[in-house]
Amino acid sequence: MYKLEAKNANLWYGKKQALKDISIGVEANSVTAFIGPSGCGKSTLLRCFNRMNDLIEDTKIRGEFLLDKENIYTDMDIYELRKRIGMVFQKPNPFPKSIFDNVAYGLRIIGEKNKTVIRDKVELSLKHSALWDEVSGILNKSALSLSGGQQQRLCIARTLAIDPTVVLMDEPASALDPISSAKIEDLIYELKKEFTIVIVTHNMQQAARVSNKTAFFYLGELIEFDDTKKMFTNPQNERTQNYVTGRFG
Amino acid sequence: MNTRNYSRGKLTDKVFKYTALTFTLFALAILVILLVDIFSKGLARINWDFFRNLPSRHANRSGIMTAMAGMLSLLFFTIIIALPIGILAGVYLQEYGKKNRFASFIEINIANLAGVPSVIYGILGLTLFVRILHMGNSLIAGAFTLALLIMPIIIVATREAIKAVPNSLREASYGMGATKWQTTSKVVIPSALGGILTGIILAISRAIGETAPLLVIGALVYVPFIPEGPNDQFTTLPIQIFNWTSRPQADFIINAAAGIIVLLLITFLLNGIAIYIRNKWYKKIKY
Amino acid sequence: MTRLQEDLKALRESLSDMATLVKNQLKKSICSLLEEDEDLANEVIVNEKRVNAMELNIDRQCEQIFALLNPVAHDMRFVFSTLKINADLERIADYAEDIARMVLLGKRSFDKDLIKTIRLTEMSEISQIMMEDVNRAYRDDNTKVARSVFSKDLQLDEINKNASMIAEDYIKNHLDKIQQALLIISIIRKLERVGDHITNIAEEVIFYKEAKVLKHIDKSENKQEEM
Repeated sequence: MYKLEAKNANLWYGKKQALKDISIGVEANSVTAFIGPSGCGKSTLLRCFNRMNDLIEDTKIRGEFLLDKENIYTDMDIYELRKRIGMVFQKPNPFPKSIFDNVAYGLRIIGEKNKTVIRDKVELSLKHSALWDEVSGILNKSALSLSGGQQQRLCIARTLAIDPTVVLMDEPASALDPISSAKIEDLIYELKKEFTIVIVTHNMQQAARVSNKTAFFYLGELIEFDDTKKMFTNPQNERTQNYVTGRFG
Repeated sequence: MNTRNYSRGKLTDKVFKYTALTFTLFALAILVILLVDIFSKGLARINWDFFRNLPSRHANRSGIMTAMAGMLSLLFFTIIIALPIGILAGVYLQEYGKKNRFASFIEINIANLAGVPSVIYGILGLTLFVRILHMGNSLIAGAFTLALLIMPIIIVATREAIKAVPNSLREASYGMGATKWQTTSKVVIPSALGGILTGIILAISRAIGETAPLLVIGALVYVPFIPEGPNDQFTTLPIQIFNWTSRPQADFIINAAAGIIVLLLITFLLNGIAIYIRNKWYKKIKY
Repeated sequence: MTRLQEDLKALRESLSDMATLVKNQLKKSICSLLEEDEDLANEVIVNEKRVNAMELNIDRQCEQIFALLNPVAHDMRFVFSTLKINADLERIADYAEDIARMVLLGKRSFDKDLIKTIRLTEMSEISQIMMEDVNRAYRDDNTKVARSVFSKDLQLDEINKNASMIAEDYIKNHLDKIQQALLIISIIRKLERVGDHITNIAEEVIFYKEAKVLKHIDKSENKQEEM
């Protein structure tokens, strides 16, 4: 059974069709990478899964999106959905609050009042995102005083604090320096033991290093979807081969 | 490289720099002359009696007590009326309003209101608050009038501050399942607080100096008592100063100068406090 | 440990296992000759399938690491060397199987004196020591031990060179035992090739550790200091 699924998904921004009849299934506790040149629809598809596209005006969606077999547009409350599916964005976007308050934000949103519960969850989440050792003594400092790589790990901790089962990542490392980027990759590799992760990346080597399965998109269509090893040693579709070998895009 | 053009460029640079410097010094010089004039005339007059005394026909017994009391009370009421309405209106218009032609129409008109001559507000206040609502020429009528005057400033500043909050912060909040109100109250407004405080500073500065609209609604020019409640008649420091400058006796001019010094000091003090608060906030949230 | 480090460790273990298996194949095939043990020879022939399967598996592991993890510097040299050592090991195992088949063909007719004169026993001992050395060199990243096989290979070459003359003499005097003599010559040739492949493995270990290419360089005694 797929954890996350899209069936015949189509999406229009106004008159422009951004997704063309996409069907794809993501297994639990795996890392799936969406790759493809700019404008191919990978981020658009990602944002369908937690209904972030609802925030953009004039979008029309057809098809089914399923989380644990439930339809996320018709069978689910949107706020519930976003607690079960978390998202990490390209540019680190911590709130202008303290490190502690950032991670605790999600818990306070869902109404958690118990201070001990909150404190424990904050510590656990920061440990999960490999940031605890660096910030355990400065939890009250502004989140904006951290470096870019640390801020992104903070955003990951913030997302993990409310125990989602799926984490969507939209180019999480592309705004970071190579060392921070590598730390994020190691983190993703660890996290897949407990979470299902879908990562959009324009960095193919990153997709190769980090994912179990890779999906290649082009101009709104899903061209090929297979085990990562297969995609990078012997892709079946010529366009896929041209893309991963750097012939275009 | 054409060296002739290059050195001409350098010359233009220098000319502009020194011209601008001259104009700046000129403007500063005028300010300095004004301050020197005021301080030389009025500084000697300032003592405890000046603050404690009520106005009187005798210049050396006149004080600014009632004017101060009136001004501070007026400011107090003005702020508690204008602040909540102005901020909430700004938040609503920017965060919740639909972006259509009607909304743009409202936005333009509010900005225009900030530029309307303040006397007009006085006339509006006179008709609406003093006469129709029977508030009389009281503190509360003055407060409502001034509130109307400074509200556009607060609304525009609030809207700009909220517009400046990056959308990525809202996305992060929605992404965690927060509702619009949770996002607005817990993320957007706290992040915009610096800009909102700036708006409040501007508004207070404007309100302190207003004389014309208050005169129109009937603020008294000669008030030998301290207002005790919002329904009492009142006067303010600018009006008191205006009153003294229209008297023929030379001693009253000295009083006026002293009053101006006090008014300047209050303005600087209030601005200073507000700027201090705003800077502290900026340190917390700088992005 | 990062994913790359984990995969490299697994690769090293796979190759070490293969090296041990091939070393045993060689040992058994020689044993089966010297002790005329046909069951042992059959064991070698049957085990060849395992060797081939391991070779394919290591090829796949190297391919995956190159394609997905982009190793650079000494990591890249490590995978590169491992891939080549894999091929050399497979060839050595082939030779071991050939020797086993020749033992079966010989049907226990081998002349023990000839074996001694032609120094086949010596050759088999040296080649086994070399095999042990080079396995240790790979396992422990020890380039000193790797270098020690070069001089031993020269001994194998010497024995091989003299073998023709000795065999010629023998055949002239023992016309009824030509077949086993020819088989013995073949076995000597194969052991010489085994030595060459072991030398290749040593060169690969040195390439990985020191980024020095020793291929096609004269490794005679007087030149060894330069290396």
